Amino acid sequence: MSIDSESVSYAHSSASESMIYRRPGILWALIAVGGAGVVSSYFLEGPERFWANWLVWFVFMVCIALGALFIVALQHITGATWSVPLRRAPERLAALTPWLVPVALIALFSLPVLFSWTQPGASADPAIAMKTSWLNYPFFIARLVICVGLWVLSYRILVAGSVRQDRTKDPQATVRLRRYSPIFMIILALTLTAFAFDWISSLEAGWYSDIFGVYLFAGAVTSGIAATSLLVIYLYRRGWLPGVTEDHLYNLGGLLFGFTIFWGYIAFSQYLLQWYANLPEEVFWFQQRTSGAMEGVFIFLGIGHFFVPFLALISRNDKLNWKRLRWVSVWVIFMEFIDVFWLVSPIEGRGLHLGWPEAAFAIFFLSAGLLIIIRATHMGEDMPVGDPFLGDGLNFHLR
Amino acid sequence: MSESIFGVVGLFRSADELLEAIPKIRTAGYSKLEAYTPYPVHGIDQALDLPKSKLGVLVFLIGSLACLSAFTFEWWTSTVGYPLRTGGKPFDAWQGWVLVMVEATILLSTFTAGIGMLFAFNKLPFFGHPMLPSKAIASITRDRFALVLRSESATMDVEAAAAALSALGAESTEVVPEVEERTPGIAWWLRTAVAIVAACVVAGSGTAWAIHIYPTVKPMVNMEVQPRLDAQAPDRFFANGRGMQLPPAGTVARGYMPILAASPDEAGKDLINPLPVTAQVLERGRQQFNLHCAVCHDRLGTGKPWLDSTYQAMPVDLQSAPMRAAADGYLFWVMSEGIRTMPGYAADISQDDRWAIVRYIRALQRSQDATPRDMK
Repeated sequence: MSIDSESVSYAHSSASESMIYRRPGILWALIAVGGAGVVSSYFLEGPERFWANWLVWFVFMVCIALGALFIVALQHITGATWSVPLRRAPERLAALTPWLVPVALIALFSLPVLFSWTQPGASADPAIAMKTSWLNYPFFIARLVICVGLWVLSYRILVAGSVRQDRTKDPQATVRLRRYSPIFMIILALTLTAFAFDWISSLEAGWYSDIFGVYLFAGAVTSGIAATSLLVIYLYRRGWLPGVTEDHLYNLGGLLFGFTIFWGYIAFSQYLLQWYANLPEEVFWFQQRTSGAMEGVFIFLGIGHFFVPFLALISRNDKLNWKRLRWVSVWVIFMEFIDVFWLVSPIEGRGLHLGWPEAAFAIFFLSAGLLIIIRATHMGEDMPVGDPFLGDGLNFHLR
Repeated sequence: MSESIFGVVGLFRSADELLEAIPKIRTAGYSKLEAYTPYPVHGIDQALDLPKSKLGVLVFLIGSLACLSAFTFEWWTSTVGYPLRTGGKPFDAWQGWVLVMVEATILLSTFTAGIGMLFAFNKLPFFGHPMLPSKAIASITRDRFALVLRSESATMDVEAAAAALSALGAESTEVVPEVEERTPGIAWWLRTAVAIVAACVVAGSGTAWAIHIYPTVKPMVNMEVQPRLDAQAPDRFFANGRGMQLPPAGTVARGYMPILAASPDEAGKDLINPLPVTAQVLERGRQQFNLHCAVCHDRLGTGKPWLDSTYQAMPVDLQSAPMRAAADGYLFWVMSEGIRTMPGYAADISQDDRWAIVRYIRALQRSQDATPRDMK
């Protein structure tokens, strides 16, 4: 599941050497405990709760992995040089992408349990009957295979090309990556929209919102930047990114701040239109997510996903402060999880469930994800040493 | 030295030389420093120890104030000043206010940033900076980097300052005198105000004159100019000068015969339904009933309104015994003239349609109280 044997075996810095397997035993133990909890929750708490949790973590994993890939492609497409020294962080985060394959294939089994359009007699609802040409098993599965396939392919092109450049020092690799990035952007726009419609909207197939793909995109990029910042700060604090200064972190904070506003804007646009129109076939979706036990989650989401990072990063000093950026990043990733939970969990009739199965899923997926990212530090150097713009990036000054 | 001194300028060949000179001149005891460069130089803010701009704080404060004002304005008008039910939403539905709050915040923040930067922090309008008449300015705008040691007292030792700059590698030095009256006085502001007013008058009267000579050319007038009288427009054809004439006394519109009965009971005795009981009449009655009556009386006539409880009306149950017993004429009269809080519908529903509704109400009553005979 890693890049290729050639680049993995290629010299890695002493910095990443000390980071790999720092506590592998603990992570493996946590994976085993979490995995046991995950499996037993299927038998003890029923398949519906199991699949809802599985779907939450599947979507959350897609958000982080594609958010990271987006940052990599964004840097190539804009020709930004300041981010070149930091690029290995999102590239390593994107190592989650190949692991989406098993998670997605398993998630397919949730279709007959969770999704309203798979239920017998669903086509009696005219709103769902209209959508049967889109929502049917063969086409749905084909779309998933295409989406995940394109993501893994893009990951291999974008990240493997960059890691190989560490050794070859070939400037042509940068040119090739810059050519592929716009193509990836188009692929991302189409696949993420299809993914959002398929895996979240179609849970309640009667509902529709054109902006929904953008909503998931905004959350994915916000959490991708937050995860990147965390990884960069981790390396920066230990002095493993020589030449990287607070000015680089400031830009990460600025991106996080900007995309926080973008998320708030998109989220409120979607909410306001459906709230105002008050059409029964649309508004029930928000009704389920803003009433009862979910009301608290809804308010927490609005404050936590927008106002907290907005106010925490508004001043220039805040963005220059790595401690501030670190806790805001952790917070934003947590809020993105709450966002996905809020989207997926309250499907018809299902209230707010928080208990040991949720904890088991969290332990399993978090420790497994952490292990994947730690193992990804095998990949190349801590900085893309072969990139011709690395020098420019290290010379970046804000002031 | 009689005239006061702005400072002593030293010109350096490169930005690096300038950056190296700044901490050294600071240790030599000169703390009031300024730098002039042909392009922005990285690191010069920290080297000169420039204070952080307060503009961000000001923008944040004004922006927050704008947001709060917009909220208060929306809240007061929607809930206290002029509460108006819109789209069935509560009066204090905050969701609709957010757009105004966001727009007000952005607008006022932008104005604060722009105007505050120009006038409060850059202190514009500002004429005659002391550096402008200096000899150094030509080089500064081209390829030299100037460091200015500002005079901190009237008795600045210019020779010593120039020597210190030269020692650090300054190519040339120059003593720059202070310029008097750098900010405009009251006369300037008056002149400016008069000029703005004059410009407005000239532009406004010029525009008015141009429109007078060249009236607006309309590309298409077919819809706008029509050979008919507008409502309420005067007309000299009639003696009273009105375009709209009152109908002659006693005129009755077709389908809107006035009801002569003074009370519903009287109408119940005097009036009979002129319409036959046919499928067509009942269908028309059903359509009109659902259109006008059902919103309060329910589609079955049970008097359970679809409206929100805030409407607070208690419509009559048309299925109740008194309503079953009431004569056709009674129902017709109530429909036409209104009763209690129910308004009259004579202006909205034609006479025939009102009678058709009466037929339909009868059918509704029978549908809810069927006898075995009806099943046959």
